[in-house]
Amino acid sequence: MAYLFQPDYVRYVCSCGSVKPVSKIYFCRHCLKVRCGYCVCHEVDSHYCSNCMENLPSPEVRLKKNKCSNCFECPCCFQTLSTRAAPAPVRAGGNPSVEDTKSLAKPPPKKVYYLSCSFCRWTSRDAGIPDQFVATGGWPEQENPHLARIVALLEYHKILASRERQQSERKKFHPKRTYMQFEKFAMSSVMVRKRAGLCPLPQSQQSDYPQPAVASEEVEELSPDIFTQPLDITKITTLEQRLKHPDVQAEEINQLRPQHKQFLMKRSQRCRVCEHNVCKPEYSPQSIKFKIQLAAFYHIPEVRIVTCEPLRIGQTSELLLKLCNPTQHQTQIMLFPLSTSITPTTVTAAGTKEVDRENMQLGCESPNLLPSLVRQITVTEDPKPLKLSPQAEIILPESILILPPRDDAAEYDDTGDTHNFQDDPKLVVWRKGNKAVIRLLVKPNEDEQIEEGKEITVGFVMQYGYVNTIATLEHKEPQKLDLKIKLFLSIGKLVGST
Amino acid sequence: MDSAVSRRSNIKIAVGAIVCEESTLKGHITIGSRTVVHPRASIIAEAGPIIIGEGNIVEEMAVIANRLPAGAPEPASTPVMIIGNFNVFETDSRCEALKVGDNNILEMKASVSREVELTNGCVVGAACSLTEPETVSENTIIFGSQCQRREMNDKPYPQVGQIDYLTRVFPNYHHLRKPNMKIVKEPAI
Repeated sequence: MAYLFQPDYVRYVCSCGSVKPVSKIYFCRHCLKVRCGYCVCHEVDSHYCSNCMENLPSPEVRLKKNKCSNCFECPCCFQTLSTRAAPAPVRAGGNPSVEDTKSLAKPPPKKVYYLSCSFCRWTSRDAGIPDQFVATGGWPEQENPHLARIVALLEYHKILASRERQQSERKKFHPKRTYMQFEKFAMSSVMVRKRAGLCPLPQSQQSDYPQPAVASEEVEELSPDIFTQPLDITKITTLEQRLKHPDVQAEEINQLRPQHKQFLMKRSQRCRVCEHNVCKPEYSPQSIKFKIQLAAFYHIPEVRIVTCEPLRIGQTSELLLKLCNPTQHQTQIMLFPLSTSITPTTVTAAGTKEVDRENMQLGCESPNLLPSLVRQITVTEDPKPLKLSPQAEIILPESILILPPRDDAAEYDDTGDTHNFQDDPKLVVWRKGNKAVIRLLVKPNEDEQIEEGKEITVGFVMQYGYVNTIATLEHKEPQKLDLKIKLFLSIGKLVGST
Repeated sequence: MDSAVSRRSNIKIAVGAIVCEESTLKGHITIGSRTVVHPRASIIAEAGPIIIGEGNIVEEMAVIANRLPAGAPEPASTPVMIIGNFNVFETDSRCEALKVGDNNILEMKASVSREVELTNGCVVGAACSLTEPETVSENTIIFGSQCQRREMNDKPYPQVGQIDYLTRVFPNYHHLRKPNMKIVKEPAI
């Protein structure tokens, strides 16, 4: 949880080139690469209302314009409105002559309902909406003043779409036509007619074309009392309130109407390269769990800054980093300078070999189950160039740090560590369970002109052992790999120079 | 003011008011009937007396203070703080306004400074603060992080049910200060 609010001191470089904290990146177990929100496919799984938790299929959602039919939002402060009951006002002057005396003595408890915001105390009575006699539904719908125009345009575009579909179907089924020879040379039938000296075909369905919008220079004159009337800001809507409902844009507070609550959606994220899901939530809107959640902090060692001595130009400062292995397998970590290539390697009997998962995966069958016509065409982008440059030199150790697997029970074990790792005492300061603190030395660059108080970043490449447990055709056994990832750390402000 | 006797004589509690022993009361204070003062609420009359009307609720950690701002010169006449009827001072709200009308609500963490005058039916929303001198017009609600204002259609209803409940429940669980003032007139509802 602490990740969500703290500033990003330790940032990992995604394979797309963006720089993000470990809590915001994914790790594709099939490509063995880091992915982030910018370089995955986002797919809408389901729409739901965050208030009533109703779950609707997407065609129906489109029909309802992405809005819940039961829940309303306060037009004033955008919170969810609640329905309040109130005793019905006693109708004065009613003569209950027809009713029998029993019901007169004990009138049925009639109730009226109105909408009220518990935050800003806006009520539907403020807007002058009559109270309802049923608790749900029946609220007057606010009509869009431009409805006729929108419907006309929609109709027209539907016609256009169908015409286009017809044309493409005609091309598909009757490709052998006399004009076909010209189409080889990229000439349309219209051009052929022109060449033959004929007038272009009359556009038959031109009449249903709606009136085009005309830009007008004339602006409605302001009423003269705008200069004389004192302004009452409590009665005028804010810009935010107007833009929330662009169709009406009410200017006065009492013109605001309750608005249907917008649906939220659950989405799954898919790796663009191998088309496997990296994140897939459970379908039910009540559930906050995931079916698939390949977040990076389950797979990549986490780096945290423990302390850093005050930074001065030309002086080495001690930087303590805490490394944590989140996986079920032992890992070995090595640190390299930033310029190192980050291609994953595997250690086999023949020696170190580079692994290129991406090319390997392309031949496989795609796991995306949607028919190829429907599903999105994945677009892979080249990684963006990295613009960050470290302002300090970091002295990296040459020894390997071994981190044991994560063991939840070990936290309650007070017997002390039984691991006997041959640690370099200069490097490892502290060790417990799957965590270790290492000591590094940083030295702000002397040649660069760094102002005092400027944030100093350092960077390095972390190589970590990863055990790939996904069985593929070539590898039935869990496969051991050495993966590398670039890291940038903001270690503090420059204090001064010596 | 230090001895219990002199303190008690300064505080007038009408019959029917519920004032918990654990509340902090300092100075000349008059509390009207049916007013509920929760434990740990503070009413501090340093600069002058505080007169609280009927049917108010002062929740825990709420502060009602008649206090001169630091460094201000001693005024010629003693400032009297008057609070009307059926106001609600919610948890951790702070009211230093010298004039508070009827049916006002100060929500949680709301703060109203000395130069502000609350009329009737005003709501100061959660964590909103009024610091500049002004008279808040009737039925105004101030809400949100931007302290937006709006005029309400109707004043908030008096919390009669809540007052009745607290009047019933508090004597069972808390020591109360004894009322020492007879009601002069009939309570107006």
